[in-house]
Parts: sequence; structure tokens; C-alpha cells
Amino acid sequence: MAYSELIKNFEKIRDYMREFYIYGFKSRDDYTKKSARSYDDERRRIESWLGGYMAFRHTGEGKNVFISVDNRSVTFNPLHNAWKAKSFTDKDIVLHFCILDLLADGTARSVSELSDGVAAYLSHTDTPFEVDESTVRKKLKEYAQLGILRSEKAGKSLLYRITGNEVALSSWADATAYYSEEAPFGVIGSYLLDRQQEAPEHFSYKHHYLLHTLDTQIMFDALCAMKEKRCVDIVNFSSRRDAEYEHRVYPLRFYLSTQTGREYLLAYHYRFRKPMFFRLDTIRSIKAGPVETRHEKYEGYAAKFDESLWGVSTGSDYSIDHVELTIRVGDDEGYILDRLEREKRHGRIESIDSHTYKFVADVYDAGELLMWARSFIGRVVRFESDNSFAVSRFYGDLRRMAEMYGGDES
Amino acid sequence: MIFSEIYGTYFKAVSAILSKAVDGVLTERELTRTVLENAFGESLVTIPAKLTDGSWPLITKDYGTPLQHKPHMPLTTLEKQWLKALLLDPRIRLFDPSEEGLEDVEPLFTPDQFVYFDRYADGDPYGDPRYIEHFRMILRAMHEKRKLRVRFHGHRGTRKSYVCIPYRLEYSSKDDKFRLLTGFRNKPLTVNLSRIDSVQILGPWEESEYSLPRETEKTLVMELEDSRNALERAMLHFSDLEKETERIDDKRYRITLHYRQGDETEILIRILSFGPVLKVIEPETMVAQIRERLAKQMALMAGES
Repeated sequence: MAYSELIKNFEKIRDYMREFYIYGFKSRDDYTKKSARSYDDERRRIESWLGGYMAFRHTGEGKNVFISVDNRSVTFNPLHNAWKAKSFTDKDIVLHFCILDLLADGTARSVSELSDGVAAYLSHTDTPFEVDESTVRKKLKEYAQLGILRSEKAGKSLLYRITGNEVALSSWADATAYYSEEAPFGVIGSYLLDRQQEAPEHFSYKHHYLLHTLDTQIMFDALCAMKEKRCVDIVNFSSRRDAEYEHRVYPLRFYLSTQTGREYLLAYHYRFRKPMFFRLDTIRSIKAGPVETRHEKYEGYAAKFDESLWGVSTGSDYSIDHVELTIRVGDDEGYILDRLEREKRHGRIESIDSHTYKFVADVYDAGELLMWARSFIGRVVRFESDNSFAVSRFYGDLRRMAEMYGGDES
Repeated sequence: MIFSEIYGTYFKAVSAILSKAVDGVLTERELTRTVLENAFGESLVTIPAKLTDGSWPLITKDYGTPLQHKPHMPLTTLEKQWLKALLLDPRIRLFDPSEEGLEDVEPLFTPDQFVYFDRYADGDPYGDPRYIEHFRMILRAMHEKRKLRVRFHGHRGTRKSYVCIPYRLEYSSKDDKFRLLTGFRNKPLTVNLSRIDSVQILGPWEESEYSLPRETEKTLVMELEDSRNALERAMLHFSDLEKETERIDDKRYRITLHYRQGDETEILIRILSFGPVLKVIEPETMVAQIRERLAKQMALMAGES
């Protein structure tokens, strides 16, 4: 099949974009799962969609291709472009413009009227372009489902009319620009911005993660099931085992990280009988199953479960770890106490004396606090927990770091 | 359906081309230009050919079109549902969009379906009428290309007042805060919106005055040891920054990070939080800061034991 910069299946490019964006040190030979031809085609497509954001470097291992973005400078996520590369047939595009034009005056028309109208529009061409009535009917039905058209009965025949466009998009311009980057399903905002002459560029973003847009369809499929209270069958890829696994779960909520851009689905796992997290970027597909009549019970689990979560880890056995982090705060270092207050999740802060404060919490996995505890290096008086593995890792890491940097030579 | 050609770049480009054909201003050159402006890098080899070889007979040989109107596609239900969902977000009050036309659709999602589990707790007061007023005035000044007088209180409570050109409103999802990015006397100036006491819109700025002083860019190099899934964790964690990664051997990688000078302490903390799997190689000033913090830490631990 001839190369095209458009794609039919989004799943095909998800992995490539992720690898190009996140890693950037791999050469062509590292992409062993697919053929070299597939690599060349996908690289070429992504290059076409992202233009100047693709970069190259030659190393001893070959040419490395990567996506290079200074996220703080961009006003719009360039990776949204991948969603705008869906392939289509010649009939799809021709019918799209002809049908919308024939209905533009607001009149309701039948399938045969529209078919005749399309034929008349295309009569100028020497090249035959046949469009039969059933194809037109199918397209009208599809557009009615999308909400672009609405159908109405007139006697025995079905008429189609363009839906009124009552939304004052201009009043949404700034909000759309902002939320296209900050709200779930931001790519829909990007679609809306494409409808405007010029998208406002008044916003920029710090701590801005772009990659999650690639998982929008997975999130959408889970959301649709959530709204209908359905369980879902998930195909999840385990990188540790390099294999795909199926899980039947009841989807509960999405957990989004503002510090890594990772997104998770919290779901009740029927076989394991407990709530579990699934990273959206490792989910290959989600298929809706039957409606869950006991949904209230599982939704109740989600609220209870959240009370002891620091991040998205439940440890190995869902037991609760007690954690205490004692911090020394110097004179004029009130900002450290402010940090403790704003960065803690759950738990409480106790004042030991005017320079010493203790954060106390009960969480599923004390190990998840290690990154945060290490961000206070230089001020940690004690890190204590009944999770002895977490404690020994914390102190072991500190000693390794001290050795690594050669101690206090300054 | 999220992934659909109706939202695609090709439909958008063809729509722009047909608009020009309806207006009677389409030429071969204009067709090329419109594709370049609206589509992907390689679209130029596809779209003009398809429109002129009869595959998509939407334009005539003389660059006219059988269409009677400029193309227009009403909003899809999905687009309306997304807008409706935004109305449930507390930050929407900063924008005040019209709710008209969304009465008959359900929101695509609700805020309780999403948990931002590591977002800081002291986010901006989006419901505060003064905050909303300041936000809207800054945005208005940006639209109207006008200067502002901004009065605010600094970190130590000092009151400050600047006449400045508003450049961007920068939002951090982690901090849940907006900052005004501007400049004063050729130096970059960042003002937290929650610290602003008053905003006054002044006269228009000249094009010659509009150049945001760039914050000094800095670079650091660190080595990563890929244990505990550190490679993937670090690559994701630092993916908000411009970076280059090179493989040294099977387990070690060299990462070059680019950051703004003003973020140095934050970057240092982020690196420290990874523990011994990341080691800063340069600049020496940052290595020295890490050594100093570790020395303080070891002293604290020695005092405890």
C-alpha cells in the first residue's frame, strides 16, 4: 500500500510517539518490534505532523530521532496534531462538503434530494465520481450521531437538517485555549480552536506534560463505561513481563499526576477483589461489558480507598504503613513549613519545637513518600516507619549519595 | 468518537481552500499557500493533486467550486459536551463564557471523576472576585495590546508597583497557580496573580517596546543509573523540560537538561528526590550545592545516632 501521512489506526503510532518524545536516544535498530519499513513510515509521518519539533542526532549507534519541545514556551500541545491525521476515503470528504453545503440554508432535505444535489455538484467533472443513495444515507446517519445533523420524520420519509450552531464560540476563545492544555480531553479544545481564525496565544504553562494526549481514546472509552455504570475488559501491557494481560474491572476514577504527567485508571478488579490502578499509557484497549448493578458498592470503595493513598501504590498487601518525617527548619525558613503544608497529602503536621516539625501519616505504601522525603535532604532529622524496607532504603540511599558526591569537600 | 477525519487537518485545509473558491479568489498559488498554512509538512503532495485530478471534485478547472456557501460545520455533540464540562470547573469563572447553546447536552465529564493526587494544596483563589477581576483585566490588556500598572506584594510583604507589558499568563498545574509573565527594565518579571493588589489598564504599547526579556537559560548534565525503573521514571518526570539523552552503556545514560535560572532550586530538589540513581556532573555550582545539602544531612543524622 502506498505511503500516506494519514493513519487509520491511532494505536499504531502511540508507541512510536511516546518513544520519540520520552527517550530520544534510540536508533532505528532499537525499534525491533516492528519492521524497519514500519519504523521509517511512522517516523516520516510524525515528522510531517510535528515539523520543527522533530530533532536528530548522529551517534556511534546511528541516527537518533526525537521530539524536542520546550514545554514552557509552547502555547499549544504539538502532539495534538496526531489526532488530526485520521485517514478517510475520497467519498468521505466529497460528501462532507457537499452535504453540509446543500443543507447550509437550514432547509430539511430527504436522502434522495441530497443524493441528487451531490450528483449535480459533481457533474462538472470529466472523471466519473459515483455516489449512490445508500452511501449518502450512511453518511447522513453518521453525521446525525455526531450531532452535526438532526433527522426528522415527514410522513414516510426521513429528512435531515443541519443543527443550529447556537454556541457563541468567540466568547469561549480564551477558555478553550487554556483548557485545551489543562482539562481532560484537551484535544477536543484543540479541535475547537481549529475552527477559529486565530487561536489566542495568551497562555503558557509550567510543569506542563504533553504526552498524555496520546491516551485520550483509552480515557474516553473508560469514561463512557463509567457513565453507563458498565464494567470493562482491559488489555494491559506489562513491560516487566513483556506481555499483554486481560482484566475485567469496574472503572471508578482517573488519577492524574501533575508532577510526571502520568495518568491512571482506578478500577475494582473482580478476580483479585480489590481496587487497582492501571496506567493509561500501558492500556492497549478497553471494551465495555455489561452494566454493573452493584456499582454503588464499588464507588464507595473508591472514596474509602483514597483516604490512605499517597500516590497510586497500594504496596504489596494493601496494609497500612505508619510514617513520620521529622524536619529541621532554620530561622527565617518559614517557607519550609509552607512546603510541608502545601505538599503533604493526607496526614498532619505536628510542631515539636520552634525549629522542628513532624509530618505524620498512615498510607498504603511508605515507599511512595521517599521521593518527597528526599526533597528535604539537608533538613531531615528522622524518617521513621513500620515499613522497615522504606526506612532502610531511605538511609541507605542517603549514604550512597554522600559517597557518590564525595562527601563535604567544599 | 475522538479520532475522526471531520476534526482533521485535511478537512480543515480543504475547508479553507473552498472558502476562497466560494469568494472567487482561489488560484493555483493560493491553493498551495492555503495548504502550507493549514496542513502538515507533506500535505502539499496530496491535497492539491486530489483536488485537481478529480479524486475530490470540489473545485472546478478554473478554481471555482460548485458549492454555494463557505463551508461551515456545526459543533459536534462531543465538542458541546466538552464545553459543558468546563462550566463545572472553578477556574471557568475567570473567563465568563456564554452558556447559550449548551442547555441540551450533558457534560462530558464531572470534576469528581478526576483526582489530581499530587497537586499542591495552596492553589489560587478562583472564587475571589478581586482575583477574577485582576485576571480579566490582564487578559483584556493582552487582547487590546495595552500596558498595565500592576501593584503587588512580594514574598516578604514588600509592596511593589510596575508599569509593564503583559506577555503571557503562565499556569502551573502542579502549583495550581497563575503567574503574569512580563518584564521591567529589560529584566524578566514574574508576578503571582494571587499576590496582586490592583491592576490598572493603561495606554497601548508600541511594537518596538514589545520584547520580553528572556530569563537566562541554564544547562545541567547528569548521569542516570537505570535501576528501580529509574530511566522511565526520570524521562517522564523531566519531560516538561527540554532535554537530550544519550546511552553510555546498558545501564547508564547521560541526560542534558535545559532550564530557566529562576527554577534552579526547584530543579535541584527534583533531582535530589530521585536519590542515588541520578548524579549531577555539571555545572560545578550545582554539584557544590548538592554536596552542601548532603553534608548538612549527614551531620543531622550523626547528631541523631
